[in-house]
Amino acid sequence: MSTGVLGSYTRSIAVALVIGLGLVFAFSDARIDTWFALLPIFEWMETTPFGVIGQTWGAAFAVVEAIHLLAMAVLGGSVLVSDGRLLSLVFTDVPLRQVQDACHRPFVWSLLLIILTGVFMACGVAIKIYYLDVFWYKMLALSVGVAFVFFVRRPLLRHDIEHLNPQVLRLVAVASLMIWFSVAATGRWIGYSG
Amino acid sequence: MNQLIYNFAVWLDTHTWSTQLHESFYMYNWVESTHVLALMVSLGMLFLIDLRMLGLALPGIPATTIAHRLNRPMFIGFSVMILTGLLLFYAIPVRSSQSLWFRIKVVLLVAAAVNAWLFHRRMKHASSNAAGNWDRAIKAPRRLQMGAALSLCFWVLIVICGRLIAYDWFDCRSEPSAIIATLAGCVADQTQF
Repeated sequence: MSTGVLGSYTRSIAVALVIGLGLVFAFSDARIDTWFALLPIFEWMETTPFGVIGQTWGAAFAVVEAIHLLAMAVLGGSVLVSDGRLLSLVFTDVPLRQVQDACHRPFVWSLLLIILTGVFMACGVAIKIYYLDVFWYKMLALSVGVAFVFFVRRPLLRHDIEHLNPQVLRLVAVASLMIWFSVAATGRWIGYSG
Repeated sequence: MNQLIYNFAVWLDTHTWSTQLHESFYMYNWVESTHVLALMVSLGMLFLIDLRMLGLALPGIPATTIAHRLNRPMFIGFSVMILTGLLLFYAIPVRSSQSLWFRIKVVLLVAAAVNAWLFHRRMKHASSNAAGNWDRAIKAPRRLQMGAALSLCFWVLIVICGRLIAYDWFDCRSEPSAIIATLAGCVADQTQF
């Protein structure tokens, strides 16, 4: 457990602070101001080579979309296996630590591929998605997912897993599954909106 | 053959449920989303098995343990994917049956199924073999690696074809060249698209 001025609860307090700041941001005018300020970036995105290719060459966009989907499959697989192990549903005879470590590498690579292909696709339809609520929900879900993995899940599982409360492990697994399901579902919904 | 497929698709299209499913915004989208999410489960498991055989993922866990344990969730995912896939076809039967990409996808699906069957046979054979001490090795035997690589290639192409079905480049109504029209199954004087 990382210790600091606040003792062993530093990370928990930091997470609570981030959530609090996020809520203040979401319900204040700052959110609207930020949204307006981001418009030039989205306009610029459509003029980049990615944006031009995405808009003029439908085949390239479709292939990148398919790669995005394939990377989502790998990410989904690694999340399901690692969370399934935390929930004692799969690989119960394989040490927990071994499953978690083994799944992390495909997770990170697929996440990188998802982000890379996602940026390409976003450039092609930047203005359209800028005005879509569901796109921002997806970005929020993705940010929460990434923050959850690297600031909550991984640091927690770095400890002696056998001594962690099994209920906490289950809670982490369920939260992780829900977050990544939200990322996938909101992503799918972008296709139906606008 | 193409005429037969067209007649069957037109017959499916006359069903009220087919039209209702196609025209229901939420229901159609739910089915399609479930298809994609089931794909994440089934292909997620399949890719982990294939990558393990190639020594690219989960190297510490025995290869057959991975293959056996992930088989069930993979088949559950595949079942949902096939069911929703059939519903998607039922919703738009004429256009789907005359989509070049759909036809390539079906051929690739059959090839992937044959490859999966061969892969399981080879794995069973390798496990029962006296020299089958490969389970904990980083890479599986060469023949299994080939099967895994083929499986990855097939599924990558299947997903790409599935994605391309949405595009109307070679649709029969766009009057494609004779070869494309034959491959896509366009029928002379067809009235429905």
